[in-house]
Amino acid sequence: MTDGAIRSIVVVGGGIVGLSAALAFAHALPQARVEVIETPSDPAALADRMPSTLPATAHFHARIGIDETELIRRGIALHRLGTRFEHWSADGSTWIHAFGDYGRPVGGIGFHDLWLRARRARQALAYDRYSAAAMIGEAGRFVHPEDDPRSPLATYVYGLQLEPTGYRSRLLDAATGAGVFISPGAVAHVEQREGGGLGAVLLQDGRRAEGDLFVDCAGPRGHLISSVDESVEDWSSWLPVDRLLVGETTSTVAPASLDAAVATSVGWRWAIPLPERRAFGLAFRSSETEAARARRILSLEEEGAHGGETVAIRCARRPRPWVRNVLALGDAATAVDPLHGTNLSLAHSAIERAIELLPGRDFHPLELAEYNRRTEQETLRVRDFLALHYLRSGRTRGEFWAGLGKRALPGTLARTVEHFLARGRIPFFEEETFEKRSWVAAMIGLGLLPDHPSAMTGAVPAAEAARAMHAMAATLADLPRRLPPYSDYLTRMRRS
Amino acid sequence: MALLRAVRYGGIMKGELERQRVVVLGGGTAGWMAAAALVRLLPHAADVHVVESAEIGIVGVGEATLPHLRAYVQTLGIDEAEFMRATHATFKLGIDFRDFGAVGTSYLHPFGSFGTEMNGVHFHHFWRRMLAAGRDDDLFRYSICNVMAAAHRFAPPAADPTSLLSTYSYAYQFDATLFGPYLRRYAEARGARRTEGKVVSVEQHSGTGDVTALRMDDGSRIEGDLFVDCSGFRSLLLAGTLGEEWEDWSHWLPCDRACALPCAPPPGPIEPYTRATAMTAGWRWRIPLQHRVGNGYVYSSAHISDDEAADAIAAAVEGTPLAEPRVLRFRAGRRRRSWVKNVVAVGLASGFLEPLESTSIYLVQGAITQLVELFPQGRITDADRDEFNRVTDYEYDRIRDFLILHYHATTRADSPFWDHVRTMAVPDSLEEKIALWRHAGRVQHYSQGLFLEPSWIAVYVGQGMLPDRWDQRADAHDAAALAGAMDRLGARIADAVGRMPDHAAFLARREAMIGAPA
Repeated sequence: MTDGAIRSIVVVGGGIVGLSAALAFAHALPQARVEVIETPSDPAALADRMPSTLPATAHFHARIGIDETELIRRGIALHRLGTRFEHWSADGSTWIHAFGDYGRPVGGIGFHDLWLRARRARQALAYDRYSAAAMIGEAGRFVHPEDDPRSPLATYVYGLQLEPTGYRSRLLDAATGAGVFISPGAVAHVEQREGGGLGAVLLQDGRRAEGDLFVDCAGPRGHLISSVDESVEDWSSWLPVDRLLVGETTSTVAPASLDAAVATSVGWRWAIPLPERRAFGLAFRSSETEAARARRILSLEEEGAHGGETVAIRCARRPRPWVRNVLALGDAATAVDPLHGTNLSLAHSAIERAIELLPGRDFHPLELAEYNRRTEQETLRVRDFLALHYLRSGRTRGEFWAGLGKRALPGTLARTVEHFLARGRIPFFEEETFEKRSWVAAMIGLGLLPDHPSAMTGAVPAAEAARAMHAMAATLADLPRRLPPYSDYLTRMRRS
Repeated sequence: MALLRAVRYGGIMKGELERQRVVVLGGGTAGWMAAAALVRLLPHAADVHVVESAEIGIVGVGEATLPHLRAYVQTLGIDEAEFMRATHATFKLGIDFRDFGAVGTSYLHPFGSFGTEMNGVHFHHFWRRMLAAGRDDDLFRYSICNVMAAAHRFAPPAADPTSLLSTYSYAYQFDATLFGPYLRRYAEARGARRTEGKVVSVEQHSGTGDVTALRMDDGSRIEGDLFVDCSGFRSLLLAGTLGEEWEDWSHWLPCDRACALPCAPPPGPIEPYTRATAMTAGWRWRIPLQHRVGNGYVYSSAHISDDEAADAIAAAVEGTPLAEPRVLRFRAGRRRRSWVKNVVAVGLASGFLEPLESTSIYLVQGAITQLVELFPQGRITDADRDEFNRVTDYEYDRIRDFLILHYHATTRADSPFWDHVRTMAVPDSLEEKIALWRHAGRVQHYSQGLFLEPSWIAVYVGQGMLPDRWDQRADAHDAAALAGAMDRLGARIADAVGRMPDHAAFLARREAMIGAPA
């Protein structure tokens, strides 16, 4: 930068996404003035209200100076090893989608190829029996991953389950400490700038917020971003959920490191462990299911799930999340349902990318194009990953599911499924949020199994592979016994 | 009971691999690389049959390679030292480009990064900022490969990823005419069949058009399920039989001939790098092997005659010539698709990009890797072919853009050739990359494929194309503190390299170790 550096940033939206962005900008650009306008929160801003995260959060937190240990100790966060999927597949089997390796390669051949071959010979246990994270999480145990590459405790990572109120106030403290200006307000009007983009945001109390860059973090409505670019790409034919029933139990429950996603006839419901309580909810479609019915179904199926708020969502993305001097983050940029808990992690990734590619005050179209190109690559693959669960679940029971399996897939997802079914292989895409091991676990969990074994498996004799697989499963089956119950682990952490 | 088991466990039958008869047409570098990889990685899925003719010479592409080849050697389970001895190989840390951006300038395109990033900001932004602040400093001082190369030193990179010495890689410079035969011994020892003879006709399935057999000059037929076309420029199956269209790139890459002239190694150190020196109508290579130096002039026949080129290379070599100058002809471009029906073209049969960045063997290896991963079980599907061709497309396109950049990013106006390449229109994809770099010092991001950020930075900066701006986070640091940190980094690199052995000495010591009894 010689001149033309960004000097001031106005973040609209004081939820988790807005504060995270403000804090990250304040850290990266100590000379810039960063201001957050705490607009009234939008109930459909899922990244703000359902902050589950993927393992990449650790990197983001380190960047913005948030100490994860402190979040755990203060009862703001739990470790998240994965999600248990129930009743999604054709045969109704349950599987755990865990953040980590499934098995280890044998003789240079990937574990899943060997597992698929062994399964055909009916000599394999369920796929998640070879995942340390799944076994530990299922047994209600936990220990921080180790570095020693020979240990099964080095084969997993974890995300976080964050308690939104406590987490938001922690971010607020940090942002204030980093010199971010924070004030409540509601946007009345946006003022266009000569030559394109925004000049100022006018608040209902008459104030006027000016800045070089405006960051729209106020939820899916995208008040700011839509004032410069109205285009929205609708995803509802691939991601059919348009209503959420969102609630929390108040009774104390034992902490857990796995959440659950349970398919039901009208959609799917979640149960998410939080410190001292549990979040629950139901994802459904308004064209078949009324809110009152959703409430009844949820209270029948989920113990202690009474009440809850109905929220309308629309799965979609903005093809151009950065236009001129307006950057949309979180649900303002990409709105997806809470399956797999990607909302906040997508926002984290976008914030990091925006900082990495931060343009000057001229907001050169080439630089924004690079940001939008990479964001698109990332977003479309998250859409694909979620859509896989709806459109190729194998489940046909229930009004929500009937017919979904016949819907056409997005091209990139069709290619992914076709390759896996033919060769057990996940084709490469840039900017993948879910690693290949996650894709493979989802495919196998959903019952999408290749017609043929990979030609490469021939290099390892079946008997040799079977011995190795047996040993892996035995080690992992024995592992939880040697680890503390998660509640003990937390108690110890809070005491130390 | 036995019958019941057989029915219930029917899945086992399906679980067994179906063997495919793979016919590799052509026994050059590409053909034997493919055969060796297939017998190694697919011992139960592929029966490999190589068909080659001693009458048809091989081009022996690439004496200089890229670091990726090490993965190939490792995958085959070959001992590196033994392999290097067999091919008279030396180590390569990059390519020394001379006179490209302007006559009298030079830079190393290193197999490694520049400096270390700080708080997520890549080093070159700090360097650029300090340059603007008046610090007269060479970015290449912060490339370990460059400092090693300049001192003719070599040591393998450190395994510890936190070490400064883990931030570079290396490749080999070897005798390509020995590489094919080396792999032939390897492949034949592991079951590859070989038939000597010339193909006189190709049989196709009347319905699908798939190639079914090759008819040989001795009247025999060689049948196959999958045909790997390694027939070189002739592209006998892909172009000849299946008629796949040619996409011509010679308007961007006008060099269409090379005049090769190996010479005896001159006294002095063995350079752990390849030299590429710009000439009036192209450029010349210099590749030091253990026993000789490979030289050649890659030129545009529209701008210089064969005789003039031969004279120019003869005048340029630094040792006694070991052969008569030999002229090779080629054309930049590629077949639109590399995998069509049951024919997979690998190497020159699929396309050609001049050796400026030593990419020929890389493209062969990439195609083989894809083929192994997509190796058919059951029938070949469109998905297989499409995926193979998709990956091949972006590999070719990126290398093409990267090569064009070397010609286009220049101020040379001393010959019609350089006038042409300097002023020509470049592909839109390259135009965008250059504009993004010039404006903001950013390299378009991708993580799969050849030539990642440091490579692009090397050519941009090395050829005098500086960005107007830099990452504004680089301004957050105190200038004096930054200068101090950069000085310390430069000193650390210089110190580390100072303790490395001489390249020739390192080679000699390894040679002595292999020779010694175990």
